[in-house]
Amino acid sequence: MKSSVLMIAMDEWRYWFRSKLVVTMMVVALVLAVASVITTGLSLSHESHERSELQNKAEQAFESQPDRHPHRMVHYGHYVFRTPAPLSTIDPGIDSYTGTSIFLEGHQQNTAMFSEQGKSSGLTRFSQLTPAFVMQIIVPLLLILIGYSMVSRERENGTLTFIIIQGVSLNKLMFGKFIALLMAGFVALLPLIIGSAVAVTQGEALSVVLSFILAHGLYVVIWCALVVFVSTLNTKNSSSFSILVTLWIVLCIVAPRIAASTASSMVASPSKLEADFEVIREAQALGGGHNVSSADLSKLKANLMAQYDVDDEGDLPVNIRGIVASKSEADLTKVLNRFAEKRMSEELSQAQIARQFGWLTPVLSLRTASMMLAGTNLETHHRFLREAEILRYDFVQSLNKVHAEKLSYNDDVNRYKNSDANNKAKVTSKNWEVLESFSFTPDTATARLMKSIEPLMQLFAWILVLLILAYKTRKVM
Amino acid sequence: MSISSSNPVISAESLSVVLNNKKILTDLNFNVKSGEVFALLGGNGAGKSTTLKTFLGMITPTSGSAKILNLPVDQHATELRQKIAYLPESVMLYAHLTARENIKYFLSLAGINKRDDEINHALEKVSLQPKAWDERLSQYSKGMRQKTAIALSILRQAPIFFLDEPTSGLDPIAIDEFNQLVSQLASSGATIMMVTHDVYGACQVANHISLLRDGQLVGNFSSPEQGHINTEEVHAAFAARSLA
Repeated sequence: MKSSVLMIAMDEWRYWFRSKLVVTMMVVALVLAVASVITTGLSLSHESHERSELQNKAEQAFESQPDRHPHRMVHYGHYVFRTPAPLSTIDPGIDSYTGTSIFLEGHQQNTAMFSEQGKSSGLTRFSQLTPAFVMQIIVPLLLILIGYSMVSRERENGTLTFIIIQGVSLNKLMFGKFIALLMAGFVALLPLIIGSAVAVTQGEALSVVLSFILAHGLYVVIWCALVVFVSTLNTKNSSSFSILVTLWIVLCIVAPRIAASTASSMVASPSKLEADFEVIREAQALGGGHNVSSADLSKLKANLMAQYDVDDEGDLPVNIRGIVASKSEADLTKVLNRFAEKRMSEELSQAQIARQFGWLTPVLSLRTASMMLAGTNLETHHRFLREAEILRYDFVQSLNKVHAEKLSYNDDVNRYKNSDANNKAKVTSKNWEVLESFSFTPDTATARLMKSIEPLMQLFAWILVLLILAYKTRKVM
Repeated sequence: MSISSSNPVISAESLSVVLNNKKILTDLNFNVKSGEVFALLGGNGAGKSTTLKTFLGMITPTSGSAKILNLPVDQHATELRQKIAYLPESVMLYAHLTARENIKYFLSLAGINKRDDEINHALEKVSLQPKAWDERLSQYSKGMRQKTAIALSILRQAPIFFLDEPTSGLDPIAIDEFNQLVSQLASSGATIMMVTHDVYGACQVANHISLLRDGQLVGNFSSPEQGHINTEEVHAAFAARSLA
């Protein structure tokens, strides 16, 4: 004999199967989930191969440049690409907005580019249907549409009394309905589980994938409990529907925006234009990466000539222009890094404030947990920027070293006199091998798991609150 | 928990209910013994449904007690519900299920497993046409739904029936069929308490009738050894009380 809870759950499914509307919604949920996993998976798989290929091509293109003046290579620049982490097929996170490649060159730090949203036109912006978006926003709405009348329908139709008279407690009825809705939620979750399992085959840690699935599972549990809870409290289907849709709007649409606005107002940061002008102003004061201030230049020359015991800069065994470029780049980089670190610190503070709103809305808890585990969070993007900057600084300074040590001062200053002089002011392309190959990997599994603890705690707290509410409701009713 | 023929199966002892600071029932006292049909007769707002809900354990008495098998309902609701069959004014089984599916489902909720032939037998007993057995209840009339609910109660072997306005909205033939069913149930030992404003129907089937007005019992009638309670007498009392 099956338990009454299971009987109630099975009957709810029978009701859904006989109700065309509910079946249609379940099919829509499944199709959306499957389509999002497939399209995002294919798109990211393509991008992953493309970026690896482009990274190799960029390195080859740099190293295959002909003999040149080394400073021309500083401006020729180099691209670095960030290959997506396996779980980013499910949750591309902030990568969709930040971009995943950077053009590295001397004297400036460029921002990442080629973001998914940046590539979209105005009308197709936010068009990418990611599995994360489907799970976080669409699935709760479908759970509401499927389940809003689960208990209120019994009350409105008068069958609730009939069920209770059969000796079934309201607790068991609520639990049976919850199990039925949970099964529907897990049907919608299935494509994500399969997509996550595929990530394991692509090298993702099993512990990360299991936590990723757990976070999404908890989120489904929360919404199912919320739907059954509201449906139990209401005597009319219409009021249950209105309350749940309002909750969805508040929790999924409004609260994340309030979180972002609150974070922006609490941690004010200058606009990009303001920040760029400030950087330019300070950079120009330093000589823009090509020159140093006259006082510094005199001191540098004096020190070098004293070091090598010569009276003229042309007699130095090193090219003072390369030395100047190197010092200038070092000074400029300090300024650029100061601004970059300040900006990243502001962004991180804002993100941390916004994440606290996860205690108020499970959407933000799941979003944070999902991005942390997928390695598509802000901290990972910042690490990408820092690692790219280290590469940029190293290759620019390596070229400046070549400039200082392998190109004579006299050839350098005379290079615009004629074509022979110009040819003499070149170094061999062998020197372009200074470039280190770039490979960005996500944080370790342990690091990502540790970062996801707080948002997972938020999801558990939501479940605890709903359990307490359900217990109180049972006593009241 | 056996049902003795001498002890009351259903009893109200100084039963009073106050809801939202309004007195709904005041000091009700009555006893219903095994195999008896008791009708609580009253107009709209007299407190009939509140009385029934109190015995179903959905409303807690403010004072006094509502007892079934000598147990206070508010303290033993879950246990007593196993013994109770309830027919609401409008029987609401699941419209998306057939009569047989409804019966199977509700029996399984009550933890009872019955064979198909036993279910068919119960449906025959309540005179539900076999061609309707596998039709969804969304196609059923009120009378057919009521028969299905009674078949369910028979299969549950519930010894105690609570009926809420059972003949309201039924056509005369269906009312006759229903009254016969109630008599059959009573003669097989079931104890039945019904609340109704149908004087004629109550007199046809009840052994005892109590008149309820503004939450108070204002008249009692019992059937003679042979025959029914006098309809005209009850009607006159009901009309007089209604006009008073």
